Amino acid sequence: MTADASVLIAADAPRSARGTGLDRAFEILCFTAATFLLAALGGLIVSLMIGGWPAFAHFGIGFFFSAEWDPVKEIYGAAGAVTGTLVTATLALIFALPLALGVAIFLVELCPSRLRRPIGTAVELLAGIPSIVYGMWGLFVFAPWFSKHVQMPIMMSAEPGTLWETLTTGVPNGSGILSASLILAVMILPFMAATLRELFLTIPPQVRESAYGLGSTTFEVIDKVSLPYIRTGAIGAVMLGLGRALGETMAVTFIIGNSHGFPTSMFASGSTIASTIANEFAEATGVLHTSSLIALGLVLFVITFIVLALARVLIGKQANL
Amino acid sequence: MNAQVDTPPETAVLEIPPETVKLSIRDLDFFYGGKQALFGVNVSFAANAVTALIGPSGCGKSTLLRTLNRMYSLYPGQKATGQVLLDGEDILGSRVNVAALRARIGMVFQKPTPFPMSIFDNVAYGVRLYEKMSKPDLANRVEESLRRAALWDEVKDKLKDSGLSLSGGQQQRLCVARGIAVKPEILLLDEPASALDPISTARLEETIAALKTEYTVVIVTHNMGQAARLSDHTGFMYLGQLVEFGETEQLFTNPVTTRARDYITGRFG
Amino acid sequence: MTAFAPQRLSRTIAEGAFLAFCWVAAAVALLALTAIMWSLVSQGIGGFFKPDGSGLDLNIFTMSTPAPGSEGGLLNAIMGSLMMCAAAMLGAVFVGVLAGTWLSEFARDSRYGKIVRFLNDVLLSAPSILVGLFVYEILVAPLKGFSGFAGAVALGLIAAPVITRTTEDVLRLQPTALREASVALGAPVWRTILAVIWKSAQGGMLTGALLAFARISGETAPLLFTALNNQFLSLDMTKPTANLPVVIFNFALSAYDDWRRLAWAGALLIAATVLTVTIIARLLAQEPRRS
Repeated sequence: MTADASVLIAADAPRSARGTGLDRAFEILCFTAATFLLAALGGLIVSLMIGGWPAFAHFGIGFFFSAEWDPVKEIYGAAGAVTGTLVTATLALIFALPLALGVAIFLVELCPSRLRRPIGTAVELLAGIPSIVYGMWGLFVFAPWFSKHVQMPIMMSAEPGTLWETLTTGVPNGSGILSASLILAVMILPFMAATLRELFLTIPPQVRESAYGLGSTTFEVIDKVSLPYIRTGAIGAVMLGLGRALGETMAVTFIIGNSHGFPTSMFASGSTIASTIANEFAEATGVLHTSSLIALGLVLFVITFIVLALARVLIGKQANL
Repeated sequence: MNAQVDTPPETAVLEIPPETVKLSIRDLDFFYGGKQALFGVNVSFAANAVTALIGPSGCGKSTLLRTLNRMYSLYPGQKATGQVLLDGEDILGSRVNVAALRARIGMVFQKPTPFPMSIFDNVAYGVRLYEKMSKPDLANRVEESLRRAALWDEVKDKLKDSGLSLSGGQQQRLCVARGIAVKPEILLLDEPASALDPISTARLEETIAALKTEYTVVIVTHNMGQAARLSDHTGFMYLGQLVEFGETEQLFTNPVTTRARDYITGRFG
Repeated sequence: MTAFAPQRLSRTIAEGAFLAFCWVAAAVALLALTAIMWSLVSQGIGGFFKPDGSGLDLNIFTMSTPAPGSEGGLLNAIMGSLMMCAAAMLGAVFVGVLAGTWLSEFARDSRYGKIVRFLNDVLLSAPSILVGLFVYEILVAPLKGFSGFAGAVALGLIAAPVITRTTEDVLRLQPTALREASVALGAPVWRTILAVIWKSAQGGMLTGALLAFARISGETAPLLFTALNNQFLSLDMTKPTANLPVVIFNFALSAYDDWRRLAWAGALLIAATVLTVTIIARLLAQEPRRS
């Protein structure tokens, strides 16, 4: 039988399904969409580089080490905002992590089973509340309370000349580095708690049950079995939380006080990269100001990229979250 | 070496009369990446007959089945060498239009695979791929296929219901109906009853037995009773080789090779 | 020797302290979150009633943002947000569904697929304000003007990776046999995907789209310098466009009580929308991960 006479080979074989030729086109369409996302990320990086270039060129390496930020004199340095970003995000993580672990363990091990689902769902829902809500709450509800019940008593009681006094100087209006960290902590708390709970639920019941079967206490099961079981995934979840805190704009902008320079005390006002961009970008005057803000953005991208990449690598090893 | 006449042969493959051959497999090797799963399979399947493939898990019987409609070519890294001749034409060639091939060779899977659409649309799905039919013609085709799959009486009043609403046994017969609706020449069945209860299995077997008047049926099964009840020819596979192939009755009552005898009498597998 | 040896004291103490900590942590966390919800509702609900409490006040939905001291609502912001979110979702669903399909159906183990998957995750978690900067650089600056269109692009770039991710995840859950069953009938791959795989996964895909919508409907940072704001009701997306998040931001930081009242009402509106959409999305999802 010659190839041409074959009913199997001819592209227009009478029994060939209609539209087989579109397979390639459909695959190319899907491929294009995927590549578009890749291009978007690439474009984002390139545009930040191009936009930030005048600032890097003008200030050189000093851009990263100077904390001076003065639109009038046209002098810009990233160090203050970078420090503010790192300090608030780290503090937020320190506050939120034990609480998130506590909530997750509570939901998996301790909570009365009737409340388990509603509370678990509520925590997950809270993780989706827009951050601007947390920011407003921070400014209007948390700050006055914090000023009156925490800041004032501490500042009044701090002995002059001690390190503690240095750490607690500032305007007692409830805003500042520490307040911003606390609001950030509240904001990433539901997200981390929900993720950790998911991870705890991936542990096969037999593993926990056999640990309990040996007579372990809850603490021992969590400490010796559950936590080691989810360790890499948990580290990944923590990194994702850190990534959110680093890049968060609205929850911080409301309450950090928005002053430039190095933060000198817990109660001093400061700024983060995101809050600086949010506050100044739309009204930026002159090329150098705009460019410096974009350069700040690039620094933020690099920091979060490193954190997120680590998180994804770790989470990828544990589970598909 | 002193070869004795009554030493059982390693392999024994019956050659069926050439005029009855529908599908002929020549020197077939199959590879999953670097791992070889089929070794030099040579066998022919007769038209309008049921051929059963039996053997322990992992012996390559499903792999052989999936070669016959080139299901493997969905997956990069899997490849077959040798020849599979359908009415004398090699289907393994790279220029073969696999969609056209699959229209001629239908397949039913281990677990029922109803599509997420109505019973009617499930059966019409394949038909619509190939033919532009008027509504009454299509309805006739759907009814005919469902009747042949012995499902019509159970679903005729709820053709608009989702295919997923049927029981497991009904779903599997729906898949048979869907397969025969496109009027293939060969039907491949990959352990079609393994997920079904005994009653559904019995009904499915009746259906299959009735199909061979019009189709060439190849069925993979781990149930030897099923193979014995249904098939005209049976092939026994082991470790990627076709060890023995012959008339079903002969193979089950008087297997020639030691390995087939051990398997059938239950010494392993 | 007794049958039940007494537990060592240190174990008992450790266990007690641990359990106490977990209870306290849960209590503190839930208290803080309840406090936020309470403030949001108690402060925000006022915007929906007349100041003297004499009845419902629908000005929020019928009037545009006011000058300080005069009556007004959030109509222009609500309309702007709806328009931008709708436009963003249109583009994001198109790109996200196709890209997710490619990752699941065509590039499951390919090297390029792994790169795209990883970088999509990076884009998914990148600070949203940077997306705003990017869109400013490529659209606002070259075209010399803020626009609702630019805002929609920024929101779309935030939603697309979410949809890509969820689409890939739900498509991967579809049984291989379903794909093979369609292909075995001779169906082309594209048809198999459209008519069988997408259809089978549509619940999960819809959930993903709703979650993406919930995410962008509250996003503020990327709109600050793309859509900017607009005092007036405008349906022209080539001009600066009012939107709820930015109005809330501006009004909350203002010194006027009636503006702040509107900010709280707007925040409540957004939070309620997000919660409603999230709950619907969760109800639609069959929660395949839990048994």
